[in-house]
Amino acid sequence: MDPRVLIVKRAAQELKDGQVVNLGFGMPTQASNYLPPGVKVMFHGENGIVGIGPKPKASKACADITNAGAEPITLVPGAAIMDLATSQGLMRKGYLDITILGALEVDQLGNLANWAVKRNGKWWPGIGGAMDLCYGTKIVIACLMHTDKNGASKVLKRCALPLTGARCLKTIITDKAVFDVGDNVLILKEHAPGVTLDEIKKCTEADFIVAKDFHEMQFEEAVAAAGR
Amino acid sequence: MSKLGNKVKTLDEALAVIPKSGARIMIGGFVGASEPTCCIEWLIKNNIHDITLITNEPGLDGFGRAMLYKNGLVREIISSHVGTTSESTEQYLKGNLKVEQFYPMGTLAEKIRAGAMGLGGVLVPVGVGILDEEGLFDLPEPKQIVELNGKKYFVEPAITAPFGLVKAWRADEIGNLEYRYTGLNCNAIYAMACDYTIAEVEEIVPVGTIPPERVGTPAPVVSAVVKGLSLEEHDELYRRHWLKIGKLAPEPAMA
Repeated sequence: MDPRVLIVKRAAQELKDGQVVNLGFGMPTQASNYLPPGVKVMFHGENGIVGIGPKPKASKACADITNAGAEPITLVPGAAIMDLATSQGLMRKGYLDITILGALEVDQLGNLANWAVKRNGKWWPGIGGAMDLCYGTKIVIACLMHTDKNGASKVLKRCALPLTGARCLKTIITDKAVFDVGDNVLILKEHAPGVTLDEIKKCTEADFIVAKDFHEMQFEEAVAAAGR
Repeated sequence: MSKLGNKVKTLDEALAVIPKSGARIMIGGFVGASEPTCCIEWLIKNNIHDITLITNEPGLDGFGRAMLYKNGLVREIISSHVGTTSESTEQYLKGNLKVEQFYPMGTLAEKIRAGAMGLGGVLVPVGVGILDEEGLFDLPEPKQIVELNGKKYFVEPAITAPFGLVKAWRADEIGNLEYRYTGLNCNAIYAMACDYTIAEVEEIVPVGTIPPERVGTPAPVVSAVVKGLSLEEHDELYRRHWLKIGKLAPEPAMA
């Protein structure tokens, strides 16, 4: 399985029936294609929607029905539209149940860094809605490749990049492992198919303990649901 | 001019008040969706330059606001982001586009909403302990923090602007605005935070046409109404763009 697809499929298993969900850009957006059977959720869009439905046919696309990436969408029955301040308020105040976000770095305190890298001596590209999501959402899940291109761990003792959320993460999902965030230590819950504990130890900078029920990620047949 | 007079103007009449250089302008829209397309094109055509742009994020690659950066017309952006278009990224990394600090999107929305509501500012807990870290931004003064009921907040001053460009679905002649679906985004908040707000709309209708409870921005807020693209042209512009970038699948019936 493509490592990014593996991450996305595993992340989708975190979604529970009846939740209000925000999926971040990139990998997390794809999680909507792998909802577990029987799970119905409402997707929130930062621009001011609860109830994002699948992509429309080209002839039905409307310039004023878009998600936070300015992509054409449909609205599911029961959807609601609101202004931007209200939409951000839903995030900050804790009306969203869960958010799945991409990450540049995570650490054993449950910190998430995903808004800035240094380019030409400047922080780039910017925060968008990610800090509001990390601040207010009940469950924050980070998705990332376990290591960078050079094999260096992105699961760290302390994030080096500016944070998006402090001590906000509940769970970290990588192409190699699933960790829960404990008290200044990660708890290794699952390994990807074919990945050994030794391998995970070698590529993880963060301190972690191994859960009693440490096991391989399980992939049941997922039902492709409303894509974003 | 009466707040309830006929405000329908041509683009030239409505936008001529904007200074050629150094204007502070607020522009509505969300990542390129529901932004005032024709007003933005007018700014470019008339070489309105050294703009300080207040906007949610820079926009969408190759589209609308992105053309402002491509033409080097924006000196500073006050926003949550600088990287949603390659045009803004390029100017920023070259040092041609100033960003003093990045705001969380919800913080920026509330700062502008405070401006719209006549408040001095807002207290925001998001990012305390992160965005005030020394050396992160080069600010003239450090971000002010207050503690209230045992919790720390940034004191975030309100943002207003002399000029606002927003997009709505339709307006009546005195400037009541009705928004369509997610076209609401930040447009209604921005409209109210500016001294002189120009609303670009797809339809202009007689007074009394828009049901009062459907008015998203009340007429006294709006200074000028301009006719932009028609509803059909607007949908078509985006459909073509989405087909081009692969966000829509072509249908056999669509020639």
